[in-house]
Amino acid sequence: MLEQVMNQYNEAIMDTDRDRALMVVRDALDLGISPEEVVFRIVVPAIELMMKSISENQGVSLAQHFMAAQIASEVVDEMVPRFQKAPEIIGKVVIGTSQGDFHGLGKRIVSGCLKALMIEVSDLGLNVAPERFVDEALAHDAQVIAISSMMVHTARGENGCSRVRQILKERGLEGLIRIAVGGAPYRFDPELYRTVGADAWAENGIEAGKVISNMIREVRK
Amino acid sequence: MMTGMERLSAAINGTLADRIPVFCNLLDQGAKELGLSLEEYYSSGEHVAEAQLKMQAKYGYDCLWSLFYVGKEAELLGCGKMIYAKDGPPNVGEMIIRKYDDIAKLQIPDDIGSHPAFAEELKCLRILKAEAGGRYPVCAYLTASMTMPALLMGMEKWMQMLMLGPHDLRDELLAKCSDFFRKQIAAYRAAGADVLVYSNPFGSTDFIPRKFFNNLSLLWMERDLGPGGTAGVVYYCGSARFNNVIDTVIRRLGIGVFYLSPMDDIAEGKRLVAGRGLTCGVINDIMLLEWSREEIRAEVKRIIEAGKPGGKFLFGTLVMPYNIPEENIRTMLEAAYEFGRFDTP
Repeated sequence: MLEQVMNQYNEAIMDTDRDRALMVVRDALDLGISPEEVVFRIVVPAIELMMKSISENQGVSLAQHFMAAQIASEVVDEMVPRFQKAPEIIGKVVIGTSQGDFHGLGKRIVSGCLKALMIEVSDLGLNVAPERFVDEALAHDAQVIAISSMMVHTARGENGCSRVRQILKERGLEGLIRIAVGGAPYRFDPELYRTVGADAWAENGIEAGKVISNMIREVRK
Repeated sequence: MMTGMERLSAAINGTLADRIPVFCNLLDQGAKELGLSLEEYYSSGEHVAEAQLKMQAKYGYDCLWSLFYVGKEAELLGCGKMIYAKDGPPNVGEMIIRKYDDIAKLQIPDDIGSHPAFAEELKCLRILKAEAGGRYPVCAYLTASMTMPALLMGMEKWMQMLMLGPHDLRDELLAKCSDFFRKQIAAYRAAGADVLVYSNPFGSTDFIPRKFFNNLSLLWMERDLGPGGTAGVVYYCGSARFNNVIDTVIRRLGIGVFYLSPMDDIAEGKRLVAGRGLTCGVINDIMLLEWSREEIRAEVKRIIEAGKPGGKFLFGTLVMPYNIPEENIRTMLEAAYEFGRFDTP
């Protein structure tokens, strides 16, 4: 039964049909599937399946990434209050766009995926100063700073990731906080993340879920 | 020596030329050329025209741009604030549509040609036409109705509205953006623009699923281009790939020039165009910040070897970041002129 529900949910996600996806989830509850199973055995595997489709270049569009993250976020919001016990948060992330960058879509997709993966996200918004990334990471006890940049000059600029790296170094925080980056300039230059001093990059918002989860595990080792 | 216009005409008509046309999108670099800040530079159509002419003469490529920066279109629709960087294009600093009620208030100017926000661009275009008209094609940049809302409300909110509704408001906004597009393309044509770059990342299945492309994008593109036709129109989806919609775009819209993504397979794109138009192979110019001379030459060679056989092909650039060293621009262009040369009988 669970497999059938999973297939129905995955189809709805790939069709970007939010109403159908939510209906599948609500019907699943009526069939006796627990809220925990909905999140961990339907929603999270659907994100993982999308990661696989992307990595196999099966032509998943940005709109599908957006809807997968959006629906996952909504389902998690609806299911978590019904859990038997509060879910264990695997880690914390602060996310924002680099200074001078006003493109928020990638950040939103990443946040939706992270939420489904039980990672607590503090969204710092657009045009975030490098000092603020670090201050907020400390304030929220975050293991990862995630920086989204859609323009070459905001990815490479002196007030972007490279400055965040410098501040972490100056304050002796490099062992405690990792930096993940993403956005178009990184897709067109896959080594750019090293140039700007990030620890890793993700090709898209869905992939970012996996990259950031791995980083959190590394910091927590 | 042939002019850029002669090379472009030869590529379109499949006649003899000395080499393939080479389009190089140097925009922000104009400020550097004139020793101005980007904000000063973009405040005057005379500055932009002067720098466009200087850069074309200096590097020898085949096009001129009337485009200032992409956010300019938002200014025509009421955006009063641009945020300038010192080393990259300006950003739209205030979203015109902050809440759904703002869609009803959005006013499309009746006469774009006489709109104050268009005045400097028009001035630039007129200078370019007077100085180089007929010798070098003057390019204008227009955002498609399906993409324009991203400039008015931000990409995040537009994606949300597009996918989740409310669909009546979405369609009201698209209709306004399409009306704007029709007026804007007519204004550019009236001012003498030769090449009309139709920018629509939402015309790529990298952005939206095929079902949305067929049921929504295609219909709005037909509405955009219906009254004025597709003469001089170039299909361009930013950096998004679009090989898999080329055939549909030719059949449904009749567009005849395809400015591929650097991520598209060029030989495949050319095969899909199948002699029905021009194909442009585009370099991943972000890498010009990093590549060595040898790497640049090898990449230009690869692109041209994939697209040049049989003609009807040009070489182009994408965003050309401000900080690309001048030497790398020259290396790229010299390689394009060398590998793009046709042997004369």
